[in-house]
Amino acid sequence: MPEWFSTETPTRRTSSMLAGLLGALLIAGICAPISASAAPAGCAALQAKYPAWKGKTLVNAINPHTPGYEAIDPKDPDKYVGFDIDLGEQIGECLGFKLTYKAVTFAALLTTLSSGQADIVISDIYATEERAKAADFVTYSKVFDGVLVAKGNPKKITGINTSLCGAAAAENTGYVEVPLVQDLAPKCKAEGKPEPTIQLYDNNANCIQAILAGRADTYVNDVNTVDQAVKANPDKLEKAIAVTIPYSVGIAVPKDKPEFRDAIMAALVEVQKAGIHKELLKKWDLDPNNFKEPDILSVK
Amino acid sequence: MSLFLHYLSLPYLVSGIWFTIEVTALGLAGGLILGLVLAAMQLSRFWLLAAFARGYTVIFRGTPLILQMVFAYDALPQVGLKLSAIGAAGLALAANEAPFIAEMLRAGVLGVDRGQVLAGQALGMTPSLLMRRIIAPQAIRTMIPAFGNETVSALKNSSLASVISVQELTLRSTQLASSTFDFFSIFFASGLIYLLLTTGVSLVQLVVERALDLDRPTTPNRFARWLPWYRAPLVVGPVVGEPVVATDEPPDNGIPYTAKDAKVSRADRTKRSVTLTRNNIAVEVNGLYKAYTNQPVLAGVDLTVRMGEVVALLGPSGSGKSTLLRCINHLEGWDAGTVKVGGRRMGFREDGKPLSPRAIAEERASVGVGMVFQQFNLFGHLTALENVAGPLRWVHGVSRGDAERRARELLERVGLSHRADALPRHLSGGQQQRVAIARAIAPNPSVLLLDEPTSALDPELVNEVLEVIRRLAVEDGLTMIISTHQLRFADEVADRVVFLSGGSIIEEGPAHEVLTSPRNPITARFLRVMEADKPTGAPA
Repeated sequence: MPEWFSTETPTRRTSSMLAGLLGALLIAGICAPISASAAPAGCAALQAKYPAWKGKTLVNAINPHTPGYEAIDPKDPDKYVGFDIDLGEQIGECLGFKLTYKAVTFAALLTTLSSGQADIVISDIYATEERAKAADFVTYSKVFDGVLVAKGNPKKITGINTSLCGAAAAENTGYVEVPLVQDLAPKCKAEGKPEPTIQLYDNNANCIQAILAGRADTYVNDVNTVDQAVKANPDKLEKAIAVTIPYSVGIAVPKDKPEFRDAIMAALVEVQKAGIHKELLKKWDLDPNNFKEPDILSVK
Repeated sequence: MSLFLHYLSLPYLVSGIWFTIEVTALGLAGGLILGLVLAAMQLSRFWLLAAFARGYTVIFRGTPLILQMVFAYDALPQVGLKLSAIGAAGLALAANEAPFIAEMLRAGVLGVDRGQVLAGQALGMTPSLLMRRIIAPQAIRTMIPAFGNETVSALKNSSLASVISVQELTLRSTQLASSTFDFFSIFFASGLIYLLLTTGVSLVQLVVERALDLDRPTTPNRFARWLPWYRAPLVVGPVVGEPVVATDEPPDNGIPYTAKDAKVSRADRTKRSVTLTRNNIAVEVNGLYKAYTNQPVLAGVDLTVRMGEVVALLGPSGSGKSTLLRCINHLEGWDAGTVKVGGRRMGFREDGKPLSPRAIAEERASVGVGMVFQQFNLFGHLTALENVAGPLRWVHGVSRGDAERRARELLERVGLSHRADALPRHLSGGQQQRVAIARAIAPNPSVLLLDEPTSALDPELVNEVLEVIRRLAVEDGLTMIISTHQLRFADEVADRVVFLSGGSIIEEGPAHEVLTSPRNPITARFLRVMEADKPTGAPA
C-alpha cells in the first residue's frame, strides 16, 4: 500500500462524528435522520431554506485519478476516497443529500454535468473563465502546482518558464496547465530556442508513466499529486519546484440552477465555519495554505 | 507476479467483466436487430429504403465509436433521451455494429447460389418463405466466422465505454492504476482477462460451426450419447406402414436408356397429334417481346402448347430459349405480350396491374408450373428427400408424413431411393438432375418446363436423365416444354419442335418432320452442325 494513504489518526471531531454515525446507523430503523448529530449547527437552517435537495441522492462526476483528492480506495476498490470526496459528503450532509459517483475522463467532467448526467462536479477542477462558460463554480481551494521531473532533473527545468523550451511536457487533456505551457512558445522563439511540446493523456497515471518511460520530461500538476507520484517512485521521480498558479479549485454546478449553487456555497461556508475543511486538509496530508473562503465564479 | 495474481483475482476487476459483457451483449443484440433491418432495407426493391440504409451505413461506419459513445451519453439528453451509462454505451455500440453486421448479413444472403433462389421461386415460394427456408439457413452457416470476429471486436470495443463512466474492465483498470501506481501488474491482469473472454468467444464459434456442419455425421449424436437418458438406437427398421425400400435395387445409373419408343410408327404419331389438337390449351404465349437495352431477346413470340403435348425448343445459344421458359412461369418480366397458363394471365391482376412478388409466387404454386434448370439448382443444405418433401410442406401445406411418402415415391421413380439422405454435393450431376426433376413434379404441375436439363452433365450421365424425362412424357402424359440440344431425344420424345433464332420462332412443326427435312436454311444449318446427333432417315 502506498505510504500516502496511511494518514495520521483521525481528529477528535472526525472520530466523534464516526461514532455518531455508527450509533445512528444502529438505530436508523427506529428513528430520525442520521445527519442530525454530526452536521454543523447552521445546517438545519440551510435545510429549511433550501429544502429541494433534502433526502435526495445526487450524482457527483469525478475523474478518480488523483490520489489524495479522488481515487478509488486501494483497500476497497468499490469506494472512492480523498479530500474532495469527504468535502462533498460534508456539504451533502449539511444540505441533507447523499452522493453517488460517476467516473469520467477529466475532459468529460463538465460535459457530463451540462448534459444532466451528473448534478455536481467536485473533482479538483480549476475554476477558469473559460470553463465558467460551461458551469458555475464555487471555489474552495488555492492552487499550487508541482513540476514533476525524472530523478536528477536532467533537463534542468525550473518552472513554467523558458526552461521548458524544447522539453516535452505530459499533460491531461483539458488541464489548465496546457495553455500555460503553450503560451511559452513565443518566449522560447524570442530566445531562439525550440518550442516545448505537449503530450496529451487521459489521466495522471498515464502522464506519470510518460515520464517513467522517458517519453516526457515533465508533468506540471497539482503539487499534492506530484508529491504522491514522487513518494510512489522515489528512485525515478522528483519534484523540481512548486509554483503558484493564478486559479482556484472549484465545485462545478449547472449554470441554470443558481439556487443550487447558492445552497452549495452556503453549506460550504458552514462546513468551513465548523473547522471541517481544515481538518480534512490535515487528514489528507494537504498543505493548509490551500484553504480558501468560497467565492462564486459565474460568467454569462 | 504476486501483484499480478492479486489483481487477476481482485473482485473489483473481476466484477468489471460483467459490465464489459453487458455492454457487449447490448451492442451485439441491438446491432443484430438494427443490422437485420438495415440489410433488409438495402436488399429491398424500394430504392428510398435502400438509400436511407446506405446513408446510415456511411455515417455510422465512418465515424469513430468513441464519438458515438459520447454523443449517445451527452448529446441525447439534450433532446430528452437520457439513458443510463450502460444503456448509452450499448446503444452506441449497437448503432456502430449495425452497419458491419448488415454487410455480413447482406454478403451471406448474396452468397447463396442465385440458382437456388430461382428454383425456390419456380416452386412457388414467397420471398419470406425463401428467406426462411432456403437463404437464411445457408447464409447463417457462412456467416458464423464473420460473426465470431464481430463479437470479439465488439468485446474489445466495449472498453471505449470507459469514457462515459461505464465501470467496465478498462475503466476499473485505469482507476486502480491511478490509485495504486501498480500500472503494469494491473494492465497485464486486465489484458489476460480480455484474452480469456475472447478465447471463450472463439470456442463458442468453433462449437457452433461444428454443430452446423452439414457433413458432420448426425447419428449417433455425439452430445446426446453422454446424456443419462440416452439409449443406443435399435437396428433401424422400416417405417411402419411403408413398404420396405428394396436395398437390392439396381445401383445408381441403373436406368437404362432405351430407344424403343423411338420406333413409334408414323401412323401412331399422326394419331397422337390429332388427339392433342383436341386437348385444352395449357400454355398460350402471344406476341411476347423482351429486350435488354434495346437488344431484343424475344422479338414477338407466339406459342400454343396443348395439354399432354411435349414441345422441344431448339436453337443456338442466345436464341431466347431460356428466356422464353423463364417468362412462361414469370421468373423474368417482359416488355410486351401476354402469357397464359391454364387460361390464366400470369403476373397480372384481373385489372391488368402487375402482381407483387408474393402474389406471383402464390400464383405459380396454384397454376402449377414446374421447372427444371440446367444447373439443377438443388437446395444445398437439404438432403435429396428434403429437397422434394420440403417445398410440398412449405408451399402446398402437405403434412410431414404425406410429403415424405410422396418424396420417397418420386425418388424411387427416378431410381434414387437409396440416396434419399444424401446432400446434393454428394450426388453426381445426373443424380442431382433426377432429384431436381422429382422436386419439380412433386406438386403435380400442369406444365413442366425443362431448361437444357442435360447440358451441364458429363456425356455418360446424360442418358439417365433423358430416360426419366422420357418416362414422364410417355407414362404420365405430362405437358412439357424442353429446351435442348439433344436432337435424337427431341425426335423420340417431342410431339413438336419449335426452332428459335434471334428471339423469333423461325420454324415449327411435327418433331420428326422438322428434324429430318427442315425448310428454313438456318434450321438446316443448325441441324447440320449438330450432325452427329441428328436422327437419320425415317423410323420404321
